[in-house]
Amino acid sequence: MRFILRRLGFYLIAFWASITLNFLLPRFMPGDPVSRMFARSQDRMQPEQIEALRKLLGVDDRPLWEQYTDYLHNIFTGQMGVSISRFPTPVTEVISSQIGWTLLLGGTALVIAAVVGNLLGILAAWRRGGAVDSALPPVLVFIGSFPYFWLAMGALYLFGVVLGWFPIRHAFTAGLEPGFTWEFIGDVGAHLVLPALTIVLVSIGGWMLGMRNTMIATNSEDYITMAEAKGLRPGRIMLRYAARNAMLPSVTSFGMGLGFVVGGALLTEVVFAYPGVGYQLLNAVQGLDYPLMQGLFLTITAAVLLANFLVDILYVRLDPRVRSN
Amino acid sequence: MTQHRFLRSARITAAGLAVGAMLLTGCAATANKPAGTDAAANAGAFLTIPREDMGTFVQNFNPFAPTVNPMVQQSIYESLLIFNPAKGDTVPWLATGWKAAEDGKSITFTLRDGVKWSDGKPLVAEDVAYTFELQKKIKGGYDYLDTVAAEGNTVTFTFNKPWSPALYDVGQLTILPKHIWSALADPEKDANAKPVGTGPYTEVDSFQAQSFVLKKNPNYWQPGKQKIAGIKMLAFAGNDGANLAAANGDVDWAPQYIPNIEKTFVSKDKEHRQYWFPATGAMINWQLNTTKAPFNDVDVRKALSMAVDRDQVSTIGMSGYAKPADCTGLSGNYETWKNAEVKDNCTWTKLDVGKANDLLDKAGYAKGADGKRTLKDGKPFEFKISVGATSSDWLSVANVIAQNLAEVGVTAKVESPDWAAVVAGYETGDFDSGIVWSANDPSPYKYFNTSMGSATVKPVGTKTFDNYHRFGDATADALLAEFAAESDESGQKDIANKLQEEYNNTAPLVPLFSGPEWGAFNDTRFTGWPTEGNPYATLSVRAPTTVLVLTTLEPRK
Repeated sequence: MRFILRRLGFYLIAFWASITLNFLLPRFMPGDPVSRMFARSQDRMQPEQIEALRKLLGVDDRPLWEQYTDYLHNIFTGQMGVSISRFPTPVTEVISSQIGWTLLLGGTALVIAAVVGNLLGILAAWRRGGAVDSALPPVLVFIGSFPYFWLAMGALYLFGVVLGWFPIRHAFTAGLEPGFTWEFIGDVGAHLVLPALTIVLVSIGGWMLGMRNTMIATNSEDYITMAEAKGLRPGRIMLRYAARNAMLPSVTSFGMGLGFVVGGALLTEVVFAYPGVGYQLLNAVQGLDYPLMQGLFLTITAAVLLANFLVDILYVRLDPRVRSN
Repeated sequence: MTQHRFLRSARITAAGLAVGAMLLTGCAATANKPAGTDAAANAGAFLTIPREDMGTFVQNFNPFAPTVNPMVQQSIYESLLIFNPAKGDTVPWLATGWKAAEDGKSITFTLRDGVKWSDGKPLVAEDVAYTFELQKKIKGGYDYLDTVAAEGNTVTFTFNKPWSPALYDVGQLTILPKHIWSALADPEKDANAKPVGTGPYTEVDSFQAQSFVLKKNPNYWQPGKQKIAGIKMLAFAGNDGANLAAANGDVDWAPQYIPNIEKTFVSKDKEHRQYWFPATGAMINWQLNTTKAPFNDVDVRKALSMAVDRDQVSTIGMSGYAKPADCTGLSGNYETWKNAEVKDNCTWTKLDVGKANDLLDKAGYAKGADGKRTLKDGKPFEFKISVGATSSDWLSVANVIAQNLAEVGVTAKVESPDWAAVVAGYETGDFDSGIVWSANDPSPYKYFNTSMGSATVKPVGTKTFDNYHRFGDATADALLAEFAAESDESGQKDIANKLQEEYNNTAPLVPLFSGPEWGAFNDTRFTGWPTEGNPYATLSVRAPTTVLVLTTLEPRK
């Protein structure tokens, strides 16, 4: 219990540090949102309108500390303000209407990549030098080293445009009524295949190699030799003796990955026109949309910290050594 | 134990997903049906348009929103008149006519009879007056506007000075219903999720983050012109996705930039696909910071301009789609305003390396032994061209200019940070030169006012949002004042001619090319598109002329 409390204290400080950074960083960027918007609209806005727009959007010239205390107050009362680039939609609405798709896409890809990658890593290490071990790692590393954008476009072109197997854009067919019907779920699934597949392809190599390497180290431990000498079934030794102990680093990566799901699918969402928050983040940064940026960064920060905290707790359960100090 | 169970369930999940994926493949293969070609299917089809710079939509149809949803100001709300830059004519819309006062201090519009809002209430003159009141309150601008008086079916706009550019300024603002908007507590913050407008397609339907549909306005004033069932907008986070949809034939209208359009778009279905890029966009200028030496010297500006190969700029930077500028500085939007004399005897916007060299030599920027020129204070003739990193087309334009300049012994370095940083430099005057768009309005007043009117010049260090190059000219000021006071169009043309002569003399900036207005279409399902031969509108989906296209298209029979 003391361990958990101590960790909790650490996470509170980390949270404070990151929300402060979230506040400061955008404000150190050059320009301000209104002139940015003016520049983007090119000739469609009148210079005389700029002052009014600044007032309307609440872009203020108050001292930084005043804005900061306001910002803290707003965070703890759950008010994230109104998005500037999507004015007058509240930030919470912009995020909440789209984050589900990002979580679905990122979560599916993460789970598939982690599960399949780890299984492959276990197999590769167990049959060291076998077919899986010698053929797969170089292939996966090769695929993983492609620029993601390029790979996604290639997959989109080949499987979507040329072969026509998968839809090439959006999370579901435009015009379909969302709901828990088989038709809709099937449609969402079909739209999910290509974007998720490409993320899995580029990330699976890392999972596999990581697992394989720790597994190899574990395989040379005495208790494995002991288990073999006892005559246990190889499958049991592989999964319950070796893999269980080699699992720990993967649990950490999974926790980290879970946290990054929110912001991690940005390029995928751009390529596949997937309606998540990734593109929104890019847009917010480009448009200096402070409230939306803060909202998104806050969501990402919270997700990363929460995932890490859960992993910490899980560790106590998985690794008795953590408990003792 | 936990882990064992975890791994086992993981194996089951993985197997399930694989099977699921295979099943889904089957479903998806049948989902990609080609667009229908029979008349009945076309009649019920929605006109499908991609929006390339909004990854997702939010249900917000407030026209005061800075990033307004597509079609709000094209199909839901309408304006008093529509100016069509492709033809240079003006179409009366919610107003049937207008008349400027003799002294140029007011304009009276007569409203069209029988126009109704989509909720069935009639459009009245108070709506117009209220719209301007609201616009001034929320967004500002219209500083010249004193009062807007509604009387019967006429609206009179009174100005605090003779102000002829007002016609298009007030004429093109989209009108809102007073009975709806005056009831809102916070009109600027209302999402206006169910808009009430006078336009042809106003009824928001099946709204999703990735698409929405606008259906027919049941009370439209031109019911005979609502020939399509509705408009479907699709969201894309960039040009690539939208281009793919266009190439695939999934959209009817492709208003975004498509590279190598003949091959990537037209060649896939020559019979039905066309594009048209009229040079009616803003003039794209190379702006030199005239508060700095040597750019304060008119000979230098002209010499640098002569060193630029505009054909190369257009072919390399703009894929050959842009039309090189001439000495009037006016883009293709103002074809009818151009001074033939100035245009035909153009010198400094044509490539002439020899003359550029002569001019620079004469102005006192001698070439050294290494072939590079020096400034009068002995420093090398070197400066930066700043362009935002994301504008790849303008970056190539800047690179072409830098190469061209090397031939006359001038070193230009292309600098490309984020647009935010570039624009911050433009605004405070802390830059050497940059590539900048210009004002684009039906009347050329604004272009000349922001390129050489002293009123728009701010001292370096003070923020400005136009006239970044900070050039003002007394002769131009006098002409601009005359222009604003002149309400007769032929009188305006005489003054505009003189303004162009002054522009030709002073070269306030270096005009490069008329920005093309992108537009392509696929007439498999809908016919009646504007083309070069029938320029009743441009192919833009964000221009005031868009409503003309929406009320002309009809399903293919």
